Amino acid sequence: MVKNLNWVGAAVFALGLGLWELLVRTGVLTFSYLPPPSDVAVGLGQLLGSGELSGALGHTLLAAVSGWALAGLIGVAAGSVLGLVRPVWTYSMASLEALRALPIVAFVPVAVLLFGFSVQTEISVAFYAALWPILLNTVNGMGTEARLVETGRVLRLSRAATLWKIRLPAATATIVVGLRLGLSTSLVLTLVAEMVGNPAGLGFLLVSKGQALQPGQMFAAVFVIGVTGIVLNAVVLGLARLVFRGQLAAAGEA
Amino acid sequence: MISCEDLTVTLPGASGPVHILDKVRFSVDKGEFVSVLGTSGSGKTTLLRVLGGLQPATGGRVSCDGAGISGPPDGVVTVFQDYTHSLLPWRTVRRNVALGIEKLPKSEREGRVDDALAMVGLSERGDEYPWRLSGGMQQRVQIARALAMRPRVLLMDEPFGALDAMTKAALQDQLQQVQELTGTTVVFVTHDVEEAVYLSDRLVVLRGSPANIGLSLDVPLPRPRDQVVTKERADYLELRHEVYEALGHRVGPWSKT
Repeated sequence: MVKNLNWVGAAVFALGLGLWELLVRTGVLTFSYLPPPSDVAVGLGQLLGSGELSGALGHTLLAAVSGWALAGLIGVAAGSVLGLVRPVWTYSMASLEALRALPIVAFVPVAVLLFGFSVQTEISVAFYAALWPILLNTVNGMGTEARLVETGRVLRLSRAATLWKIRLPAATATIVVGLRLGLSTSLVLTLVAEMVGNPAGLGFLLVSKGQALQPGQMFAAVFVIGVTGIVLNAVVLGLARLVFRGQLAAAGEA
Repeated sequence: MISCEDLTVTLPGASGPVHILDKVRFSVDKGEFVSVLGTSGSGKTTLLRVLGGLQPATGGRVSCDGAGISGPPDGVVTVFQDYTHSLLPWRTVRRNVALGIEKLPKSEREGRVDDALAMVGLSERGDEYPWRLSGGMQQRVQIARALAMRPRVLLMDEPFGALDAMTKAALQDQLQQVQELTGTTVVFVTHDVEEAVYLSDRLVVLRGSPANIGLSLDVPLPRPRDQVVTKERADYLELRHEVYEALGHRVGPWSKT
């Protein structure tokens, strides 16, 4: 882990932080509410101490991850059917393409109208955001190489066995990409829903600290959101490598 | 064992249907090693796919043990030329070999996998992923997977076509041993005349467009055969000559017609 650390890159990052601190302290940058990194650290400490941060983080994670997990179940199932049953594809792809072209943010006010200022709004938005990359990647992944499917026939595998032992594993690497994309959009849209809809979680924390003129704490919330995204992606990738070792190794991703 | 009578196959092509095989009459007896030779595009792969139940016949009758073929028949396993695309890259060698026999109880399944890997000389490589192995080894994995099914008939579509000469010779000899050990019937498609004569009990040459069987030849060379000794025999050379002639080869590329 430490061996793979990009020391030069880390040094540049630290230098950037130092420069930021310097420019703010010396008054070169004169925004009224731009805190230096040290103030952000203090803000982070305050948020941690008051317990606001853990509550908000827990709320946002719960909403984003449950919406994403639901999208994973439905997206993979529906994507498999779409990818394997030609008539279903023919009948539904036009509608799906049209829906997909709609920017997901436009769906947020709709969800607020439907579900009110509630956590359901957040979950439904997170679900909708993650559904598309998962669904479409699954559809793509189902285009299994003809020779592999023929191998299944030669070895007398049933249709169910071919799906389970050949088609789904062959699609795994592609589906995992969809799941990772889906999780990051889920998080983004959950935050948006918290800013304009349900007043809770990290999104609301960010907005309310801004309105309360607490730039240190506000930037600390931004920092936490960034770290959350990175950690979530790493967790999904790590789990996928653990569970689907062979598939990801074969795709050159492990 | 396997036979076709008046087999006709027409496939859709870019400019209308293409007539590939015309009234092919062909049969293979139990335990026989029969090669199907032909130039590229002569329809030999199509013939094999029909026998393997992967491609329906347009006309005529194809049967395995008297029953008509519609879909891969029990006990008949096809081995493809492109091993890379026929092995599951996410499964280890062992789990690839087990793919067709996973309904069997564990002890029997593992026993068959061990036997099949031993027959192709890959007992030590079972836990590796196939893409870590050389081309020749990957093809041996595919053959082991077919053998684990305990097939009565092996249909092989240019199985050694993508391998270098030395690997090819080694695999030919291994296939001879396996066949002697198991008594499996083999239909072997190739465009390599030496390979066909060396391995077969009988060989047929597909000729014409649409193709028909132009030559059917018994190969009474004694077994076991040897890459050096057998290929120096006068009767081997005569058979080889005869097959080249049947394929339309004229002696000397510069000779006058």
